[in-house]
Amino acid sequence: MKRKWHIAPYLFVAPAVLMFAFAVLLPILLTFSFSFFKWKGYGDMTFTGFDNYIRAFKDKIYVMSYVHIFEYIAFTVLLEIVVGLALAGLITLNFRGTGLFRVAFFTPMMLPMVIVSYLWAFVYNADFGLVNTLLHSLGLDSWQHVWLGENKTAMISVSVVSGWVFAGFYMTIFYAGIQRIPKEVYEAAHLDGATEWQVFFRIKIPMIADLIEVGLLLCILGGFQAFDLFYVMTNGGPNNRTEIVTTYLVKIVFKNADVGYGSALAVLMTIVITLIGVLFNKLKPKDAGKLEY
Amino acid sequence: MSATIYKSKPSLRHNVFAAGYYAIMMMLSVMFFYPMYWMVISSFKSNRKIFSSPFSFPEKVDLHNWSQAWKIGNMSVYAMNSLITTSVTVAFILLFGSLAAFAFSKLEFKGSKLLLAMFVLGLFMPLQSYFIAQNYVFEFLNLKDTRLALIIPYIAMGLPLAVFLLKAHNDSLPKELMESSRMDGATDFTIYWRVILPLMMPGLSSVAIFSALNSWNEFLLALLYIQDESLKTIPTGLLAFSSRYITNYHMLFSALSLVTIPMILVYVLFHRHIVSGLTEGSLK
Repeated sequence: MKRKWHIAPYLFVAPAVLMFAFAVLLPILLTFSFSFFKWKGYGDMTFTGFDNYIRAFKDKIYVMSYVHIFEYIAFTVLLEIVVGLALAGLITLNFRGTGLFRVAFFTPMMLPMVIVSYLWAFVYNADFGLVNTLLHSLGLDSWQHVWLGENKTAMISVSVVSGWVFAGFYMTIFYAGIQRIPKEVYEAAHLDGATEWQVFFRIKIPMIADLIEVGLLLCILGGFQAFDLFYVMTNGGPNNRTEIVTTYLVKIVFKNADVGYGSALAVLMTIVITLIGVLFNKLKPKDAGKLEY
Repeated sequence: MSATIYKSKPSLRHNVFAAGYYAIMMMLSVMFFYPMYWMVISSFKSNRKIFSSPFSFPEKVDLHNWSQAWKIGNMSVYAMNSLITTSVTVAFILLFGSLAAFAFSKLEFKGSKLLLAMFVLGLFMPLQSYFIAQNYVFEFLNLKDTRLALIIPYIAMGLPLAVFLLKAHNDSLPKELMESSRMDGATDFTIYWRVILPLMMPGLSSVAIFSALNSWNEFLLALLYIQDESLKTIPTGLLAFSSRYITNYHMLFSALSLVTIPMILVYVLFHRHIVSGLTEGSLK
């Protein structure tokens, strides 16, 4: 029954494979090899072994960029996943017209991050921005800040923007999951006298555990790759307070022309992301989301 | 939860609960919408008014700021570039992705597992693990500052997800479909084109929405590979515009509104498809 070797299948996969190999696979391998050299991006390449990697571990800004990114991820998990869950819970209560709210919460997700970044840079503007103006009109002038320009407010301010964009996205995913739950489950719960709180925490959340897990992974990996928001709103400032791996990489490679070092940083980041992916697979409960009902 | 529960006791308590619910939801909606509304009203004001009364409604809704921003901001060029880049990218992702997905799902060949594993890798590899070397490869091949400098990586980045989603769709199609077509003497390509592709439509539209949004919004590569003003896409074009008119707030607000409003209109018109396309794309 098995067919002989045949060229057709290869012709079908060739365009995708070649395209991917050329634009992604080859550059990954090249980045890895660049990381063992000192190179400005032009001219001579000097082999330096693991020097770039050793330098990375001694580079305070680089090490701090991981601290910053974990901080950012912690905020975004809270502002995207937790808020997304809360919104999904609210939207699946049995009220009319929730479709309209769903559209409203999802809208920011449609905008390019660059647009969002500029818009929010204005919202945070110290002179005419919405936040300070609102605080002023509430008589809370002492609460005003130069939100993106102060060490203690910069990171949370950027995270809030990310929450504004993605909370609706996660809400939509969780909403879709909650819709899968059979109606009988709720009916049984209500017959037993369960309150809406109990329904939310005991039924809705456990039954979309698989989606929450996917959401967490997306949020963490997305956090690592954040760039646009930071580049436009703070560009790593003030005083490197919001320097993250990606903004730092771009500076090292394209401003300092330190391609070898930048490549080593990129390789390290790839390893970290891969580890997180693997860890996630290991840690996840085997039967998450397959609760019986 | 279900309506019957509430209907059975149409109490005062329920009405209070409902009023509270709508109040909270309205407030949340305002939080999501107000920044965008503020952007639009500010775009009709003068710089002075933006400073002196940031919350107020503009004295008159005058599109002068918009037309000025459109003209001096080169916006038509950026919009056209985004349109070209995005549509070419999406077309090729759909073509290459569906061809590969068909082969991975319905044809047997040596090395298919390995090649599929390569695309799994692609699902997880962040842009940062390859953009540095990609930059120098493109420089070496004189691809920078051409449309291909964006189109090629956008296609490559979109393919892993496309292959997976479409393969999943293909796997759900019955085997008999292939066998009977082959009995009728159809070649593999005819089966792909005439039988499978039309059945893949829902998957294709998810992939199209997902890749269109990604390439429309992409920023980092656009920033690194395109310096030529006449080839910039909307995200980087806006960046160039804003650095030139850094304190010209009403112009910046106008430019932002010009880009945002069409996107919101598209979303409101097609939100059902967009949302299902996006969530399906990210959940599979």
